[in-house]
Amino acid sequence: MKIVVCIKQVPATTAEKRYTADLRLDRASAESVINPLDEYAIEQALRLAESGAVESVAYLSMGPESAAEALRRALAMGGDEAYLVTDDALAGADEWATATVLAAALDKLAPDVALMGMASDDARGSLVPGAVAAKRGLPLLSYGAELTLADGSARIRRLSATGYDVIEAPLPVVATVTDQVGEPRYASLKGIMAAKRKPLETWSLVDLGVDPGTLRGGALTRVVEARPPEAKPPTERVENVSADEAAAKIADWLAARKLI
Amino acid sequence: MTYRLTDDHEELRAVVRELAEERIAPRAAEIDETAEFPWDLKELLAKQDLLGTCFEERHGGTALDGIGQAIVVEEIARADATTSLIPIVQKLGALPIVLAGSDEQKDRYFPRLASGEWLIAFALTEAAAGSDVAANRMRARLDGDGYVLNGSKRFITHGSVANVLTVFALTDPEAGGRKGMSAFIVETDTPGFAAPRVEHKMGIRGSPTAELTFDDVRVPIENRIGAEGDGFKIAMNTLDRSRLGIASQAVGIAQGALDEAVRYAGDRQQFGQRIADLQGIQFLLADMASQTEAARQLTYAAAAQVDAVASDLPYWTSSAKLIAGDTAMRVTTDAVQVLGGYGYINEYPVERMMRDAKITQLYEGTQQIQRLVIARQLLQRAGVGARPRDRRETGA
Amino acid sequence: MSNDIFFLAEFADGKPARSALELAAGAADLASQSGGAAVALAYGDGAADGAAALGAAGAARAVVLGSDPAPAVTFAAAAAAAVQAAEPLALLAPATPNGRDLASALVGLLDLPGFGPVRAVGVEGGTLRTEQATLQGTVITVSEPADDAPRPAVVLVLANTFTPREGGSGTAEVSQASAGDAGAFGKARIAESHPADAAVVNLEEATVIVAGGRGVGSEEGFKPLHELAAALGGAVGASRAAADAGWIPYQLQIGQTGKVVKPALYIGLGISGAIQHRVGMQTAENVVAVNKDPDAPIGEFADLFVVGDLFEIVPRLTEEIKRRKG
Repeated sequence: MKIVVCIKQVPATTAEKRYTADLRLDRASAESVINPLDEYAIEQALRLAESGAVESVAYLSMGPESAAEALRRALAMGGDEAYLVTDDALAGADEWATATVLAAALDKLAPDVALMGMASDDARGSLVPGAVAAKRGLPLLSYGAELTLADGSARIRRLSATGYDVIEAPLPVVATVTDQVGEPRYASLKGIMAAKRKPLETWSLVDLGVDPGTLRGGALTRVVEARPPEAKPPTERVENVSADEAAAKIADWLAARKLI
Repeated sequence: MTYRLTDDHEELRAVVRELAEERIAPRAAEIDETAEFPWDLKELLAKQDLLGTCFEERHGGTALDGIGQAIVVEEIARADATTSLIPIVQKLGALPIVLAGSDEQKDRYFPRLASGEWLIAFALTEAAAGSDVAANRMRARLDGDGYVLNGSKRFITHGSVANVLTVFALTDPEAGGRKGMSAFIVETDTPGFAAPRVEHKMGIRGSPTAELTFDDVRVPIENRIGAEGDGFKIAMNTLDRSRLGIASQAVGIAQGALDEAVRYAGDRQQFGQRIADLQGIQFLLADMASQTEAARQLTYAAAAQVDAVASDLPYWTSSAKLIAGDTAMRVTTDAVQVLGGYGYINEYPVERMMRDAKITQLYEGTQQIQRLVIARQLLQRAGVGARPRDRRETGA
Repeated sequence: MSNDIFFLAEFADGKPARSALELAAGAADLASQSGGAAVALAYGDGAADGAAALGAAGAARAVVLGSDPAPAVTFAAAAAAAVQAAEPLALLAPATPNGRDLASALVGLLDLPGFGPVRAVGVEGGTLRTEQATLQGTVITVSEPADDAPRPAVVLVLANTFTPREGGSGTAEVSQASAGDAGAFGKARIAESHPADAAVVNLEEATVIVAGGRGVGSEEGFKPLHELAAALGGAVGASRAAADAGWIPYQLQIGQTGKVVKPALYIGLGISGAIQHRVGMQTAENVVAVNKDPDAPIGEFADLFVVGDLFEIVPRLTEEIKRRKG
């Protein structure tokens, strides 16, 4: 049984972010990390490996060459090998192009489970997993609070609007998990040292047999404007008043806005 | 001798810093308040392989170089000085065996120490023998196939939580501490051993500093480290290296206080502006930063000298500890100054850092002892030599 | 090719979800700009019987994808067939787990441009334009389909971006999606279904939310929050810290990994306002926060920030609201 965890390198939440003149995120300007939501997918995969349900855990990322750092970080947490798809033709790739390329790489790796985080932390997009499943002709098990594997099937526990369902599909599948799988582990020192010796292979589009021409310049979408958010009206602060005064103040505030 | 920080060092720093900020820093105030040993953080450090940095890979360690070990201690101390003592003392206690122990002793104890399953402590200081190590009185009498230890030790960091100790005792009282002392490995579940009391301290309050008593504690002969009479030399060789851990701790404490002061100065508004915009505050912060950096670089230089087994390594390690300890004290005091009244109360961590910093001027040789070591090396180097009456030896 | 605006209309428990009503109104608005019609792709429990009634919400036509209890993504092939036949300008999908699943499946099946989650969408000169807050809300980007991109543009829309029509009338012209093979997406099935805990409401439907965080301290501590929510006619939500602590079910968690809500009024109590929570509620129309910590980040973006003890203030506020409501 083999899992490939797809991870994305993103700017750290706390990092300063800028857009370049051609309206792409200036990734060189920001400290980069593994998309925090992907770390839960890594944790889930490693737990399955520890339980013996999975023999091999590999990582796959698409991004600039510097995304190799994210893959090394993942390897330091555990797992066996990593693959980076990097190609100049992919700068500014949108979710459709990303899904197309990841699907081609996954065709080559042929895992039983292609596992992803529930969304990307930077743009909060989440169109990649289903698109990858569609392109590979595989079932999609998404938003799992837990993933289990048994008898040739994968199962996830998934929150519904008010309860939860257990959803099952025959392997191979594309799956995504949420932060409820449990806190991601820290890389241990030995893990970090071992990661340097684990194989990390870099693929170009040619290696994947993808004709860059079919990617339509890497995107079916384009950003036409990037601007700072509207300034919020200043916060009204209430401090150093009694609880009675505070309650009355809030009630007045709500009444003035016809909220009560 | 040159040294250079590598990408691996920077990665190590980033990894330990993340762990320390997320898991250790949030515990620091509580550890200080309750004065309880942070067993949870000991387990965390063990799990992350951070207690085995000085051990070889064949014993389950990670065999980091001196700068790497310094970075680990520094980043933990930046969050909490108490917790940084866990790797520091793990090395201090093991160094006598590293330097003079047999392969059998190393194979027997190092795997459990490198994994963090066991803690070790270094038991040299006695109530009446602090800086004057040669005044030690504890006895070890040869009896058949073993030694019988009697006496007491004081100010032993982790003495009450360790599973095993390296203990120094006189095997030849006639010859005195300098010639008649030997080193032993003592497991703390041996009958006759007790840790009856821990001190109430000003700082590093979660790190138990224990009084230890030995009442006919029987130790097998194969637990003696090195030859009979080698104890003093082993202790001095240990301290010449281990005090780098204290230097690293001091750098970490200083950096933690500096970071707090900078953050506060950037937020705090007085006279209609951030206090960081006041030149008086900027000068304070600049001094704190440059002094901390100087202490750090000297510590790394000393670590490289130790790795190279330089003949004058005591000069380097004592210089690093002297400068770093004084820097930690000054920088934490200045951090309290930057925070003003807020710095003096426990709503902010700098008052704790200031209390923690003081110990780095005291243990593993007071700053005065460091100066003696430095001066002796300095004069030797110049061919002047040191007068006999100044040739007091140095201890913890 | 058409200038129609399609939208996903999810049904649950026999009736359209609030997202279906919002998107119906939004699709009708956009269709009036593009010169097409609003068309619902209806699925879920009650879709077959309720699709016609979407006319009152703004839909001119409705295609029923299926009503069987199945993971929403099962209907992807039917949705693809309907979309492919019409080549509409856009397909709006709710930015919920089910909506995202279907939208992403369509992007992959038909090689479509995907957008979102967006907070605004419009048609300018026949071109679709979307507005999205990215990088944790630090940048607003405006995007459109690339030249000659295939149709439709698939757009994930945040809750409460559009307001459902009230008092509308009319009936949508209903057709049945061709019963083709569901393909690989049809292989996922619901093995077990654990229905709602009666106490758990669907937060995405609430217009007033009283949310509690770490500062609430315990399950018991949520009691005054429930009382306040009841007085306001709202629902109780929580930060991840409170859900992780087990004080409240995960279904009520607001934030990056929980629900993304946009109520008319959000009251945050004992919530620090970490970025992960903020992205789940930052588009709320009115934000009130009570926190003991004067430096809590929520104080930076709340409209009204009260420094104080929530356990002192909240019961008094509840009484005050009851009194004023008479």
